[in-house]
Amino acid sequence: MEPEKGKTAKFLKEQQAVSPAAIENLKQFTRIKKSIVDALKEEELTISQLSEKLAMPKTDVLYYLMSLLKYGIVEKGEIDDMDEYFTYKIKKVNE
Amino acid sequence: MSEKNTSLAFDALVVGGGIAGGEAALNLATNGFKVLVVEKDLSVGGKMIHLSKVFPTLDCSACITTPKVSEISRHPLITIFTETEVKGIVKNGENDFDAKVVRKPRYVIAEDCTGCQLCEEACPVNVPDQYQYGLVGRKAAYIPFSIASPRVAAIDIENCTLCGACERACPTKCIDFTQKPVEYSVKVRTVVVATGFNLFDPVNIPRYGFGEYKNVITSMQMERQLAPTRPFHTILRPGDGKMPDKIAYVLCTGSRDASVGNPICSQICCMYSIKQAQLLMGALPMADITIYYINIRSFGKGFEEFYEQAKGMGVNFVKGKIGKITENAKGNLILRYEDINENILKEAEHDMVVLSVGVLPNTESEKLFVDKSLQLDEYNFVKQPEQLVSPAKTSIKGVFVAGTASGPMDIPDSILSAGSASSEAISYLNNK
Ligand SMILES: Cc1cc2nc3c(=O)[nH]c(=O)nc-3n(C[C@H](O)[C@H](O)[C@H](O)COP(=O)(O)OP(=O)(O)OC[C@H]3O[C@@H](n4cnc5c(N)ncnc54)[C@H](O)[C@@H]3O)c2cc1C
Ligand code: SF4
Repeated sequence: MEPEKGKTAKFLKEQQAVSPAAIENLKQFTRIKKSIVDALKEEELTISQLSEKLAMPKTDVLYYLMSLLKYGIVEKGEIDDMDEYFTYKIKKVNE
Repeated sequence: MSEKNTSLAFDALVVGGGIAGGEAALNLATNGFKVLVVEKDLSVGGKMIHLSKVFPTLDCSACITTPKVSEISRHPLITIFTETEVKGIVKNGENDFDAKVVRKPRYVIAEDCTGCQLCEEACPVNVPDQYQYGLVGRKAAYIPFSIASPRVAAIDIENCTLCGACERACPTKCIDFTQKPVEYSVKVRTVVVATGFNLFDPVNIPRYGFGEYKNVITSMQMERQLAPTRPFHTILRPGDGKMPDKIAYVLCTGSRDASVGNPICSQICCMYSIKQAQLLMGALPMADITIYYINIRSFGKGFEEFYEQAKGMGVNFVKGKIGKITENAKGNLILRYEDINENILKEAEHDMVVLSVGVLPNTESEKLFVDKSLQLDEYNFVKQPEQLVSPAKTSIKGVFVAGTASGPMDIPDSILSAGSASSEAISYLNNK
């Protein structure tokens, strides 16, 4: 039977299993996204500060933070006096 | 695999939709020939569509590529199959080729997609964005990049969890997980091979630390950082998000180096590095840029002047061979090098290193033909048996080569080469 338009993901899921790696990757991103968003809700932070707070390598913080910036969840704040590191904050949505 | 077999006929098959393939297709179509362009990626445009600006004029690359790509896409005599690969081409006789091509599912009905990106917004997945060379993430339901052609969503089925969020968000209901690969049988009268080049992977030179030291990046990653559609909000080191102020370029990474199997010059790395250095000086006015080189190859029109211009802007040029790169506690890189002029070993500290990776052949071209052999040259680029008089001719009569499929070259030379391939193809088509 032809699946209903707009409900084809369910149809494919019944036919083939989703890869465990894809599920694991989604779980990991959801967890990291929540931890970054929660930390930034409290205060504006640099990548180093986030790295310490979340016990995550700086390079990983940068990758996830820049992804969240791309998705419009996070925005950049100020740069330090040495013009080296930025802070990041939750993006304000104009109501 | 779908049972559906579709039979099509064209005058010319162009394999590869980079600038060379696109230009060849356009020339053929403007002369009244029906062309099928087969591109394996989700968008046409090749590497050029991802560049920042181009040497030596510093014109915006997207501004040149976009109108060209749109002209190709809209031409009534050109059909483009993206996400498609050639399974095999058989030559039956002169002006008579049979090609089998397989179009992979995109899981989106392209004609109905408006490119609104609502599926992208709804998708919960995040994986490295291949079009930003892994510097940032992208969704599993995604528009490949903002100037992609076609600008149509695609589903990365390997990373998709089939949650259905994209389908629920799509206003035109064009996401379709029932799509299957479709095999086409295509009759053509001539073939243009424009499969382009591959980039050298610097993990093959472990002493440069690429992969291990996050502040060592490739020139293509820097190209993305300099483009308006960049992965970050400004130029940052991937190790810790610092705005770099002492950047080194290592020329000839994976070129002119028999130890990594590529003894030839890539022809473009000197010039694109000089271009990037100039762009960096504009973007980061306080930055110190040093280019470590063996020789500067500035052989083209306006290239020597471009090199002099970089020197005049304050770019440092050091004739030195890099031995080893190590990282210190601050994430800075220590370059140990042989100063070729003074013949002594020296060390220098930089906060970011760009490896100017070389051009490698795309040997897929050899596998395109089933019954005939498309010969490669000693460096595995498509062989040009009559390089001086008919550079587009290959070892198979009626098959022509365009662009970097035949060897390293820049954009103007790729376009010239495509001109030569299309005119040879036209004269072959006219001499039935
Ligand atoms: C970092 C960097 C910076 C550069 N900067 C400049 C610059 O400033 N100025 C300049 O003039 N040049 C520059 N260049 C060089 C420029 O990118 C090339 O000259 C140009 O892209 C060559 O075009 P092409 O069409 O031959 O190959 P490509 O751009 O490689 O295109 C080949 C196309 O064929 C497709 N393809 C491959 N195999 C198959 C297959 N089997 N089936 C179907 N499709 C296939 C690929 O997906 C691709 O779309 C730069 C290169 C690099 C790496
Ligand atoms: S697939 Fe649907 S939601 Fe996604 S960009 Fe196309 S039209 Fe928009």
